[in-house]
Amino acid sequence: MVALGTIYFWVCALTAVAGALSVVVSKNPIRGAMGLLLLILSVAGLFLALHAQFLAAIQLIVYAGAIVVLFLFVIMLLGPAASTPNDRRGLFARAFGGGLAALCGAAAIALVASAGLAAKHPFPLADVDPSFGGVDAFGSALFADALVPFEVSGALLMVAVVGALAVARGRQGVASLTRSEREVARAATPEPDTAGGAGVYSHEIHAHEEHSS
Amino acid sequence: MQSPWLSVLSFLVVSTLVGLGMIGAGRVLRVRARHDSPLKVRPYECGEEPTGPAWMQFHPRYYLVALVFVLFDVEAVFLLPWGVVQRELGPAGVGAALVFVAVLMLGWLYAVRKEALKWQ
Amino acid sequence: MTATLLLATIVKILIMVMFVLNLAAILTWADRRQSSMIQDRVGPNRAVIKIFGKELRLAGLLHPLADGLKFFTKEDFMPPNADRLLFTLAPIMAMGMVFTLVATIPFGDTICLHQFRLFPDFWHVHTGPHGELLDGVERWGTCAADSRNGYAPLELVVAPLGVGILYVFAMSGQGIIGAAIAGWSSDNKFSLMGALRAASQMVSYEVTLGMSLVGAMMIYGTVRLDDMVRWQQEHAWGIFVQPLAFFLFFAAAVAENKRIPFDLPEAESELVSGYFTEYAGMKFGMFYFAEYAEVVTGSMLLVTIFLGGWALPFFHRDGLLVQFGDTTLLRVAIPHVFVTLLGVLAFFGKVIVVCWIQVFVRWSLPRFRYDQLMKLGWRLLLPASLANILVTGVVWLAVDKAGSAASDGLRIAADVTQAVVAMAMTYLIGRGVVGMFGTVTHERNIIGTSAGIAARRGGTKTEPMQA
Repeated sequence: MVALGTIYFWVCALTAVAGALSVVVSKNPIRGAMGLLLLILSVAGLFLALHAQFLAAIQLIVYAGAIVVLFLFVIMLLGPAASTPNDRRGLFARAFGGGLAALCGAAAIALVASAGLAAKHPFPLADVDPSFGGVDAFGSALFADALVPFEVSGALLMVAVVGALAVARGRQGVASLTRSEREVARAATPEPDTAGGAGVYSHEIHAHEEHSS
Repeated sequence: MQSPWLSVLSFLVVSTLVGLGMIGAGRVLRVRARHDSPLKVRPYECGEEPTGPAWMQFHPRYYLVALVFVLFDVEAVFLLPWGVVQRELGPAGVGAALVFVAVLMLGWLYAVRKEALKWQ
Repeated sequence: MTATLLLATIVKILIMVMFVLNLAAILTWADRRQSSMIQDRVGPNRAVIKIFGKELRLAGLLHPLADGLKFFTKEDFMPPNADRLLFTLAPIMAMGMVFTLVATIPFGDTICLHQFRLFPDFWHVHTGPHGELLDGVERWGTCAADSRNGYAPLELVVAPLGVGILYVFAMSGQGIIGAAIAGWSSDNKFSLMGALRAASQMVSYEVTLGMSLVGAMMIYGTVRLDDMVRWQQEHAWGIFVQPLAFFLFFAAAVAENKRIPFDLPEAESELVSGYFTEYAGMKFGMFYFAEYAEVVTGSMLLVTIFLGGWALPFFHRDGLLVQFGDTTLLRVAIPHVFVTLLGVLAFFGKVIVVCWIQVFVRWSLPRFRYDQLMKLGWRLLLPASLANILVTGVVWLAVDKAGSAASDGLRIAADVTQAVVAMAMTYLIGRGVVGMFGTVTHERNIIGTSAGIAARRGGTKTEPMQA
C-alpha cells in the first residue's frame, strides 16, 4: 500500500514538473496553457493524496475550469503576436528570471530535505476521519473562524474585476460606452442599421473599425 | 486506503481507454485515399480560399466574459460550502452570505452598467 | 473481501459505461425519429438488413449501427497546419470527461448483503420482533442497524465521493477546454470562432448551473448525491421544494450541452459546423457521441438532484409505507433487495424520460441569437439563481423559527407531493402501456401538427408553390 502511494506521488509530482516546464519552454502559448492544465491536474492529485478532497475539487473548478479558460481568452485576445519572439530580445531578463526561479526551487528542496519532513510524515498520510477535508469541515471552519477574511476576499474579487473591466474597456467603440455616453453618440450620428441580427459572426472579430453607432 | 477516489481513477482510465480505443480502431479500419489531393485536406471555409492562418485577434469582450465568470465561479465555490453548513449557522450565516453576495453583485452591476456582458 | 469489492466496482463501472454508451446510441435514433414526427415526415428508414430475402428496417433502429460502422471506416484526415497532438487530444478530452462525470452518480440505494451472500438473504425481510417494518433506521440505505450481524453494505455508485456535486462541476469545467482546443488546433477560422463561442457560452451558464444548486443544497444539507436522494425519499422531490432551481438547472444544462436552442457554437448557417468542422471519421464520431452522452449525464444529474434519483414514492428501505404525517394507511414488507432493484429500474427509467424531454426541446425551439443568449445567461438566469438562494435562506429561517406546527404541516405537504408523484407516474405508465397496445393510425399522428391545424382551418393551398 505504501509502495502504491509512493508511485502515485511520483507520477503526480513528475507530471506537475513536466507541465510546469512545458509552460515555460513551449513556444506556442496554447500549448503552454495546456501544460498549465496538466500542472493543475497533477497538483489536484497531490491534494487528494493528502485527503484534501475539497481543495482538490476547488483546484479543478477554479484553476482548471476558470483560470485556464481565462488564459485561453487572453491568448485569443492577443492573437498570434503573443508567441514568444525568436530573437534575443529580453535575454538578460529571461535568464535572470529563470536563474532566480531555479535558485528558489533549489532552496525549497534543500529546506525540505534538511528538515527531514519526508521521514516524519510518510506519504500518503495515514487514514483520517472521512469528514476531514470535506465540504462540511471547510464550511464550518470558513464561516466560524475566517469570516472576516472571507468577506474581504469577496471585496478583493470585486475590486479586481472592476479594475480589469476598466482597463480592458479602453477604446473599443460603442461596446465600451456607458448608456449616457452612447445616447450622446446616438444623437450625433444617424440611426444604426439594425437589420439582420443573424450574421453576428463578422462582428465577433475585433477589427479596428468603429461599429456603426 | 479504500478510497472512492481509486474508483474515480479507474473510471478515468476506462474512459480514456474507450477514447483511445475508438481512435485506434478508426485508424486501423479507416479507408485510405489512393490519390491524395491538397484540396481535400485544406480547411473548409465555405469554399473560400483560406487566407493566412486561422488564428487571429479576437474581440476583448470574450475576455470580459471570462473575467466576470471567474468572479462568479469563486462566488459559487464559496457559497456551496455555505449552503451545506447554513442551517448550523442560523441568521448570522445568512447575513454573512448576504454581505458577500452583495459585494460581488456590485462588480456585476459595474459590468452590466459598462455593458461588458452585452453583445451587439 | 477486497476481491469482491473490486469485482463489484468493475461491475458498477461497466453498468454505468454501458448504459451511457447504449443510451447515447439509441438517442441518436430517438433524435431523428422525434424530429420526423414533429416535422410530419417519414423518419429514418434507409438502413436495411436483408435476411432470407426479407427487408428488416426496425423503424430506423439500424441507423445508429450504420453510423458507427461509417465512423470507423471513413477516411480520417486533418488540415496540414493543424496542431496534431491537440487535434487528437481534444475529442478524447471531450468524451472522457463526460464519462468520468458519471462515476459519482448513484443509481440505486445501498444494498445490505450478508457478507455478499445472495442466498438466503435474498428473501430476507427486515422486520422488528412483531413483524413491523423497521422504520427506526436512521438513514435509508445505511446498514448500521445490521452491522453486528455481519451485513455488508454494497453501495450502488461507482465512487461515493464526499465532495459529491463539486466533482461534477470540476469535470464539466474540463469540457470547455476540450471544445476550445478542438477549435484552435483545427486551423480553420470557423472552428476557432465556434470554439470561442462555445467557451464563452459554457462559461456563462456554468455559473447558473452552480448557483441553482446552492439553493437545493441548503435544503438537503449535503453535497453528496446519494444523501440528496435519501432526503428526497424521506421528504419530497427536489422539484417541489426548489421549482425555480429546477428550471434554472435544466436551462443551464441544455446550454452546457450546446444543443438547440443553445447550439450557437455549431450553428450550421453561420459557422459550418463550429469547432469540429475539420473533424472526420472516428474523431468526429467522438464529438457527436459526446454530445449525446452529455444529454444522458445531464439527465442523470437532473434526476438525481431534482427528480428523486432512484426514489419511488412511498417505497422505503424495507417495503411500502404509505403515510401522511402520523397516520399510516398501508404497510407492506418487501424484501430489501427487491425494493433496491426496483429503485435502480426507476432511476434508469426516469433518466430515459428526461432524455426524451431534452430531445423534444431540441426539435421544438428555434435557435437564440448570441446577444440574446448572453443576455439570458447573465442578466436573467444569474440574478434569478441568486434570488432563489436568498428566498430559500429566508424561508428556511422562518420555518426554523415557526416551531413544530409549521414543520408538521410541511411534513404532511411533503407526503402529499409523494402521493401526487405516485399518481402522476401511475397515470403516465398506464397511458404508455395502453398506447403501446393501441392501434396507431396515420391520421392520429397528424392531428396535433401544423398540417392538421391547417386542415381544420379550411385546408391547405392547392396552387403550385412558388420557388
